[in-house]
Amino acid sequence: MANIASQRIKREFKEVIRSEEVARCSIRVELLDDNYSELKGEIAGPPDTPYEGGKFQLEIKVPETYPFNPPKVKFLTKVWHPNISSVTGAICLDILKDQWAAAMTLRTVLLSLQALMASPEPDDPQDAVVARQYKEFPEIFVSTAEHWTSTYAGGPRKKEEYSKMIEKLMGIGCDMDQALVALSSCNWDMNKAIEQIFG
Amino acid sequence: MGNCLKGTSNEDISLLRGNESSSDNQHDVIQSPPYRERVPVYYPAPNDRRPANQLSEEEQIRIARRIGLMEHLPILAYDDSINKNKECVICMIEFKIGEEVRYLPCMHVYHVSCIDDWLMRSFTCPSCMEPVDAALLTSYDTN
Repeated sequence: MANIASQRIKREFKEVIRSEEVARCSIRVELLDDNYSELKGEIAGPPDTPYEGGKFQLEIKVPETYPFNPPKVKFLTKVWHPNISSVTGAICLDILKDQWAAAMTLRTVLLSLQALMASPEPDDPQDAVVARQYKEFPEIFVSTAEHWTSTYAGGPRKKEEYSKMIEKLMGIGCDMDQALVALSSCNWDMNKAIEQIFG
Repeated sequence: MGNCLKGTSNEDISLLRGNESSSDNQHDVIQSPPYRERVPVYYPAPNDRRPANQLSEEEQIRIARRIGLMEHLPILAYDDSINKNKECVICMIEFKIGEEVRYLPCMHVYHVSCIDDWLMRSFTCPSCMEPVDAALLTSYDTN
């Protein structure tokens, strides 16, 4: 890895560890290799959002051309959000693409992702299904996102009704992830979900 | 009009860094056989990396113009009594007194090699995001 990239990540890593956000357990980074090219990040779901109480793991890959190009970041924890793919975890955020600036750091990236979780941009979606639900059925969106947070990120809120529907689908041979995706994308309409899976 | 950025001659970015331009590196380029000739690489957009001979004429003109503008950005010795920034935010290494730093019109300073690499990708200040073009042109107008 190019010298400037690893040198910077080394310094940034120390900066993140000393930051007040780490002290508040709001963000965290962990090194995955010795040459500072792969890291694991973690952000806490922001308060007063459906993600509150959840911990979200991120894959961070640092390109050799860092900091001239942004780090490649995606969610490892499944999340229901208009700007994050519910399938791959890919993120649609301008600063991770063309609005990147060399002065941005791992810390500012993680904080920007937290801000994105708190204020989705449904008009610039990564996941069109989620974005449509966010706009057309905001209440269903909130309870669905909460259900995902509790299922995958350790969040506290789960709808009993949703759990029962998932169990029903699992009873007829679906796995849990498949059932949750189908029901979530069909706005919790059981018949449509069954049609989507088996149709 | 030909390939105005082809080859490592006059338009090479290393010219911006003063006397480094006659480095051994260039010598290598001239001596290597034609099929292995190293063509300088430019960034017509931040994530678009292409050798000079694969740039459109329009992109070449834009990059040449940018290099021209970059030459107008002053390089001065770092002075810790004037500059508030203690480190270059690109490499995060502290400035040494007397070290050459490049000033952007917004008065942010960086190591010359750090900021030149950045400006070739994006013509904005990495700290305040101010477009360097616009700022340069305004500073010409007011002077």
